[in-house]
Amino acid sequence: MLPLAIRLMRRELRGGLRGFRIFLACLTLGVAVIAGVGSLAAGVRAGLEGDARAMLGGDVELNLVLRPASDAERRYLDQNGAVAEVIGMRSMARRDDNTRRSLIELKAVDGAYPLYGSVTLDPAGSLADALAQRDGLWGAVAAPALLDRLDLKVGDVVRVGEARVQLRAALTHEPDAATGIFILGPRFIIAKPALAATGLLAPGALIGYSYRVRLPAGMTVDAWTESLKTAFPDAGWRVRDYANAAPNLRRLLDRVGLFLTLMGLTALLVGGVGVGNAVSGYLASRTLSIAIFKSVGAPGRLVFWTYLLQIAVLAALGIAIGLLLGALTPALTAQLLPADLPVTARLGFYPLPLLIAAAAGALTTLAFALGPLSNAQAVPPATLFREAADAPSSWPSKSTLAVQALVTALLAALVIATTVDHRLAFWSVLGALVVLAVFRLAAALTIAAVRRIGRPRQPLLRMALANLGRRGANTASVIASLGLGLTVLVALTLVEGNIALTLDKDLPERAPSFFFIDIQPDQVAGFDQLLAGFAGASDVERVPSLRGRLVKLNGVPVDEAQVSPGAQWAVRSERGLTYSPTVPTGSRLVEGSWWPAGYQGPPLVSFDAELARGMGLKIGDTLTINVLGRDVTATIANLRAIDWTSLRINYALVFSPGTFAGAPETFIATARVPPDRETALQAAVTDRFANVSAIPVKDALQAVSQMVSQVAVALQVTAAIALGLPNSTFVWGQKPEPAIVTGVPACVD
Amino acid sequence: MSVPADAAMILLEGIEVTLTSAAGAVNVLRGVSLRVAAGETASLIGPSGSGKTTLLMTAAGLVRPSAGRIEIAGTNLSTLDEDGLARFRRDAVGIVFQGFHLVPTMTALENVALPLEFAGRRDAFEVAADSLTAVGLAARREHYPAELSGGEQQRVALARAFAAAPKLILADEPTGNLDGATGKQVMDLLFRLAAERGTTLLLVTHESDLAHRAHRIIELADGKIVGDGAQPLPATAAR
Repeated sequence: MLPLAIRLMRRELRGGLRGFRIFLACLTLGVAVIAGVGSLAAGVRAGLEGDARAMLGGDVELNLVLRPASDAERRYLDQNGAVAEVIGMRSMARRDDNTRRSLIELKAVDGAYPLYGSVTLDPAGSLADALAQRDGLWGAVAAPALLDRLDLKVGDVVRVGEARVQLRAALTHEPDAATGIFILGPRFIIAKPALAATGLLAPGALIGYSYRVRLPAGMTVDAWTESLKTAFPDAGWRVRDYANAAPNLRRLLDRVGLFLTLMGLTALLVGGVGVGNAVSGYLASRTLSIAIFKSVGAPGRLVFWTYLLQIAVLAALGIAIGLLLGALTPALTAQLLPADLPVTARLGFYPLPLLIAAAAGALTTLAFALGPLSNAQAVPPATLFREAADAPSSWPSKSTLAVQALVTALLAALVIATTVDHRLAFWSVLGALVVLAVFRLAAALTIAAVRRIGRPRQPLLRMALANLGRRGANTASVIASLGLGLTVLVALTLVEGNIALTLDKDLPERAPSFFFIDIQPDQVAGFDQLLAGFAGASDVERVPSLRGRLVKLNGVPVDEAQVSPGAQWAVRSERGLTYSPTVPTGSRLVEGSWWPAGYQGPPLVSFDAELARGMGLKIGDTLTINVLGRDVTATIANLRAIDWTSLRINYALVFSPGTFAGAPETFIATARVPPDRETALQAAVTDRFANVSAIPVKDALQAVSQMVSQVAVALQVTAAIALGLPNSTFVWGQKPEPAIVTGVPACVD
Repeated sequence: MSVPADAAMILLEGIEVTLTSAAGAVNVLRGVSLRVAAGETASLIGPSGSGKTTLLMTAAGLVRPSAGRIEIAGTNLSTLDEDGLARFRRDAVGIVFQGFHLVPTMTALENVALPLEFAGRRDAFEVAADSLTAVGLAARREHYPAELSGGEQQRVALARAFAAAPKLILADEPTGNLDGATGKQVMDLLFRLAAERGTTLLLVTHESDLAHRAHRIIELADGKIVGDGAQPLPATAAR
């Protein structure tokens, strides 16, 4: 039968592609979006992997918080590879005349930095030269944003902490910038020896010590890391290798890629409705030919295969064009990526995303074409005697419905299996199908209602309603596809709007004006006095601050414990800790009770209720935290509900006083002042306490808001194109009833 | 399938056909019984809506009767499913339509070869070419229906109907869309081919002249046979 079906198919194709333009457009667009997103993501991922060592700064990176590596640790590292040390912290930079200041991301590097990649400066030159000490002044390089913010030019002197450094160049490229995807201030690099002069290396200050290592030739990461753990089992450092460089950037790119892929799928579904309609319309136009085939002896199966093959050939054409467009997307859109994205997309041919897009396109075509094909198979040859213009539409056979369900399930499985967040993809796919079904139902109800409406006197209105409700009209398909597309666009806009409202209005109204960090214990009294005496300052809150890493949950190492995805963030890296004799302001106890005043017993901890749920912990269980290399185990005494959106000082872990006695600590504080007093407060605090950083909350919210807005706009535009185009070609391609077209002038006359 | 010489080619007993439409059920045929011998030619006449075309469709297996028994060329059609009926039509029945009904994307030769291809015949195109020659259209076999006149299209349809050497030809107003002269040409051809091959012919027509060319005229009215008589053949009638 197949050779005959192929022959018949080829003859039928002689009729041209006129009825298939919409089919091709809808399919091509959907496939192109999925292929394009996948290719671009693959290109960016290739860039991440290709530049992984440069982005990490080494083959392996060891991170310590609050303390540098000991002499023994440093000796071991030097004996087992080439090492570059990078010290990072937040601080304040001020113009030498003290008229302006800015929060900066301070980075102090040694002579070996960078081990991989290179730093680009303007004016061009070597980093070592730019940072060297000349005429008693250490050099510095800074991100162009700082030069703008403080109105600086190369050669100007800048104050950082207690030190004065000379700005020698603008930093135009930093190979390891992606290690922190979201930074609060412009980058500022000085030489490691210059850091001591700043006076910022105070005990307990929030300082990160990073050791990037280039491994000896032939040494594998796993072997090297094992030896390290054996040599220093309790060092408490976080080890990352180049395969996991820039995890935050990867997560962000995965999320955006996931969203765009789901957008492509939705576009394909919308296009699928168009595909189904185009196939239906085409097969309806072939009703007489099908009836002729059957009248001269063709079995229904032959009819089915003939037109299935025809659709398959045309689908292959549409998919091929879509894949070509998708494969070209990285080259066409690379220029549109944000200039400050710390990774370069690698242009190239990435077969896997194209395969996935092709499979998605093929399955979508099959899912939406099977129904009309089943109807075509059932065309009665008696049609020839009745000269029916359209085949009577009917429900597909049970076997066809079963195959359609299977194909749809395969399509859903393909999408879910090939995205990074299977759960999210599952619910998105289910949501899209439910929305489609709801709109189909709405369409059926609309048609039923239209048919029940009496005949309006207005002829145009009468004809319009009749056209909506006539047998064979595309009302249901148009409502379904427009409904699905608009639902996604509206949902996107609402979510973005809500986030924008929260970031631009709600949060700023509740948020403090500043976070002050790295307040040393001997500065507390002076700080409190300054704030108390500052006109307009209110809601001052100050708490002790330490850093530590969760290492065990109820005695089970975190690597082996069951932690839900939503709670992973708490065990991924160091966390801020504090201790308090009383319930922190803004927290609400939901279970258990607070320790009594003056408590001096074994360590107790108050834990975030949601995290406890995600980690399967309850009151009475224990948490072990590593602070500066020392493990401390505390019993969970109570659980708190924390409103993170309050932007108050909130800690997931609050310990009983005395838990970290003797450990170096600093304090952080928040305060509110009227907007016209913010600059004055920032100046007053940082002038008096050069080591204290003042983080303007509004600036941080604005940075987040801007980033969210940029991403949202990009996604909305993509969605509008991906969903709008199939809908417009589909709706635009609807043929009006000839009777209406020719009848209207007469009616108007 | 072979049919004994004295056996009926068409045997209808108590055939009732009810068609449903948006307006409700319509009893199109009400207890029709008919026997047409092999090699016989018969005309179906009657007013519009009398059931002539439905009777033809029932004989072709295109409509299933709601009651009664139907045997065509010795085959009980009620025992066949849809695909079986398609195979039956392919092997035993040729149909000629008023509207020609050629596949527009296929040449004349391909149209004629269709039933032979469906039967899996390797010589489908050779036989189809012969069939076109028999109707005088050998020179037009690579032309598409849009390039043929009405008369030529109907001759291609005749060639297709006769190509598989069916036992029975059913013709529904074959000259309805043709002018007088062309229509006579087509009918001469139809009767000549039927006579040459001993094919049974059942023909629906409104034209009296045409009806009288058959051995027998069967008159229908209101879904029933109201007249059935043999005709003396005119001297000028083609056999």
